[in-house]
Amino acid sequence: MDLFANLALGFSTVLKLVDVNVPLLGVMPLPVNILLCFIGCLIGTLIGVLPGVGPIATIAILLPITFGLDPTGALIMLAGIYYGAQYGGSTTAILVNIPGEATSVVTTLDGHQMAKQGRAGVALGIAALGSFFAGCVATLVIAALGLPLTKLALLFGPAEYFSLMVMGLVFAVVLARGSVVKALAMIVLGLLLSTVGTDLESGQERLTMGLQDLSDGVDFAVLAMGLFGFAEILRNIESPETRDVVRGSIGRLLPSMADLKQSFWPVVRGTGLGAILGILPGNGAVLGPFASYTLEKKIAKDPRRFGRGAIEGVAGPESANNAGAQTAFIPLLTLGIPPNAVMALMVGAMTIHGIIPGPQVMTKNPNLFWGMVVSMWIGNLMLLIINLPLVGLWVKLLKVPYRLMFPAILIFCCIGIYSINNNPSDVLFTAFFGLIGYVLIKFSFEPAPLLLGFVLGKLMEEKLRQALILSRGSFSTFIERPVSAGLLVVAAIMLVLALLPSIQKSRDEVFTE
Amino acid sequence: MAGTQEGASHGGGGLRVRNPQDGAAGLFLLAVAAFALWQGADLPLGTLRSMGAGMLPTSLAVLVGLFGFILVVLAFLEDGPALERWNLRGPIFILGSVIVFALLIRTAGLAIAGPVAMLVSCFASDEVRWKEAVIFSVCMTAFCILLFKVMLSLPIPVFTLF
Repeated sequence: MDLFANLALGFSTVLKLVDVNVPLLGVMPLPVNILLCFIGCLIGTLIGVLPGVGPIATIAILLPITFGLDPTGALIMLAGIYYGAQYGGSTTAILVNIPGEATSVVTTLDGHQMAKQGRAGVALGIAALGSFFAGCVATLVIAALGLPLTKLALLFGPAEYFSLMVMGLVFAVVLARGSVVKALAMIVLGLLLSTVGTDLESGQERLTMGLQDLSDGVDFAVLAMGLFGFAEILRNIESPETRDVVRGSIGRLLPSMADLKQSFWPVVRGTGLGAILGILPGNGAVLGPFASYTLEKKIAKDPRRFGRGAIEGVAGPESANNAGAQTAFIPLLTLGIPPNAVMALMVGAMTIHGIIPGPQVMTKNPNLFWGMVVSMWIGNLMLLIINLPLVGLWVKLLKVPYRLMFPAILIFCCIGIYSINNNPSDVLFTAFFGLIGYVLIKFSFEPAPLLLGFVLGKLMEEKLRQALILSRGSFSTFIERPVSAGLLVVAAIMLVLALLPSIQKSRDEVFTE
Repeated sequence: MAGTQEGASHGGGGLRVRNPQDGAAGLFLLAVAAFALWQGADLPLGTLRSMGAGMLPTSLAVLVGLFGFILVVLAFLEDGPALERWNLRGPIFILGSVIVFALLIRTAGLAIAGPVAMLVSCFASDEVRWKEAVIFSVCMTAFCILLFKVMLSLPIPVFTLF
């Protein structure tokens, strides 16, 4: 059994003891990777709990800190932040009625109602248990799909890769919120931004305005931090939120047998939906909880209970967001294509450590691949412990007012950006992109497709050029090769469907519900 | 940005702008496209068989402009939300504090840049309490120096004035 051998390799990577020079205590063997996994999960929970700090900004801040780590440990920690944030986001959604993360928006509907009825503990408990179940299943899905997809990816030529990325971008448009035209415009703008810098083939500077700092192109972390980190602060300051922290006791944490019975199938369905949607490029992980909530409401015997503290309305979506957060790693680890902005940062982290994301990761760095997969399962186990007994601590954190939080976030962001290249002009560029992000918000453009276009841009240009050199300048190569043509047809159908008025309406409903 | 706003509300002559937000968004994209085309004008386009450095930037800029144009046209055809209010206080002080940080980090060091940047950013919010803000920003900077400089040993200048 290959799978078991691989998982065993993963476990040995995660549990490996490394001699570390600990200050004051001297050199001692420590299971570094598992400690990093724990730190990642802890930070993830923390930022998940705090509204207004997302995983994108956090990973961007921590990126420079991981320079000194070994790549496996660094990626294990960064991954932990991402799925840890999904756990933490539900705590805020249930107790404060504000989504700590975009993926826990629907949890506020029934979760907060349960909290008001004195069942906050049960809601938190079922959210954590459901997430844990989803995490276990998603880990297995990654392990099972990893090998076949990698083999498939190795057969892809430049034309297929290009078409695959086109399809990915189209999915990102279809699954994004709001206007399709605006989302398309953001993708193209992202692609345009990715061309800034030195042209790899001719060595000419493109669109750099003669600025020395732009000759290497726009730094990804700079763009992400500006568009998401700073613009988010600007938005929060303009429309201060009211925090409605549940007073009184949280109640018992462990759900009763009846609760468990009621939640079992919603958890299973949520896990399935979330896992499938998470693999899709675009906002898959965000869409999962919405889809799960809609489904549970549709098939419930008494749909009126939803919005009034139905436990299924917490169990399903919470499992879905955690499953989606993990399966989102599949396209990144097997095909080298990041399906969302967080995964795009992972690409940044991998390239910093000299690992080129793609099918070769699994063959060249099997410890990294399987170590990450196993660390996710262990991380989920840790999160169960971090979340349930420590919930009181997280509640205290929520009482920190935003007037203190935003200067702290700001200073962390500044230090993080400065540390990437030790270059103050990076900080200035981030401020510029913060302004752009604010303008985009005001025009109700979504920044996420822009970031995705930016990340895929360089790779797409490379593949496009290669494909056109092979075909002697003829675009027909994309249609003549069957796999490439198939991918483009899927993309075209999705795009046409999204533009149809009737579908557009139901798409709006999914997001507003 | 004031220019695009004005353009949206006055443009169109006899036609009525029914979706000011999308109209302004379209004008923004047109401006970006025009800028990119102007900047990339000197780059060689090349041929499809061997693309020049300017091929992609130029075609992508044209596409951005096309989307901008579509949005402007749609703004006359479909109803939509009005422009949101632009509150300049947030951007000026938050982004200003970031710029202050960038200018001070090398010249004065984190020990100065940290508190100054955080205090500048506090002007962006109504809820600020100054005594608390001063104490908090100093403690936070100390914490950052401890975390990033001492524990993680990142090469950040801490104090460079003397």
